[in-house]
Amino acid sequence: MTILPTLEGGLRLQMQVERDWQVLMALSFDASHDLAGDLSGLMDEESMWEDLIEPELRALFSHQVTQVEAQVRAARKGGESSITIGAEDADVWYGALNQARLAMEANYQFGPTEEGKSIESMERGKQQAFFRERFYCQLQSLLLEYVME
Amino acid sequence: MMAVQAPSRKRQNQTTEETASPWQVVVLDDPVNLMAYVTRVIMRVFSYDQTRAENLMMQVHQRGRAVVWSGGREKAEMYVQQLHQAQLHASLERAG
Repeated sequence: MTILPTLEGGLRLQMQVERDWQVLMALSFDASHDLAGDLSGLMDEESMWEDLIEPELRALFSHQVTQVEAQVRAARKGGESSITIGAEDADVWYGALNQARLAMEANYQFGPTEEGKSIESMERGKQQAFFRERFYCQLQSLLLEYVME
Repeated sequence: MMAVQAPSRKRQNQTTEETASPWQVVVLDDPVNLMAYVTRVIMRVFSYDQTRAENLMMQVHQRGRAVVWSGGREKAEMYVQQLHQAQLHASLERAG
């Protein structure tokens, strides 16, 4: 996959091989985690976060993942070779990628990325997840640098 | 229909006291959120300038937490809600 900034201030994800699509299709699976519940757990009972805010957060997070998934599916189904993330979609994409990374961290405990970390010693599923997580992180950095700033 | 008991004066006083005492909005570190993003969110939510937001972000990064705002409970909850919407780990603590 090649990622390029567009003249309109967005990013274009140019697919090159089937695996590029597979990585983007994995995003909704990777993001499946109860982030709203986790955040709610940080609040005291008095705030009534579970009743008042958690459902709203859950709906927002679900919307982000659903939107990205729909865009990827539509592009693939339409035979397109690229996906454009415009400035208006950047927050939704960033949020979905962030959810995936938070969920993967909760599941795999990658920890801070360090030089020399032994990727080879990870079991295969974790290794693949690690590379997806790194890709999501890079895409977030590009969104911040070229689209959201 | 459920009967509702009128609040006693003591309870009213307690409530006034509780809401009047200052609360702190605390942002907690996590291994995922990018430093530039945390700075951006703090700037947007609290209307802080970049230097102040970066200092707070660095506190979160180095000490694991930072008090980013303090004041009334209701407003503090509103800020935490916005931080949660941005997927930052944040909570409320009583000041002092």
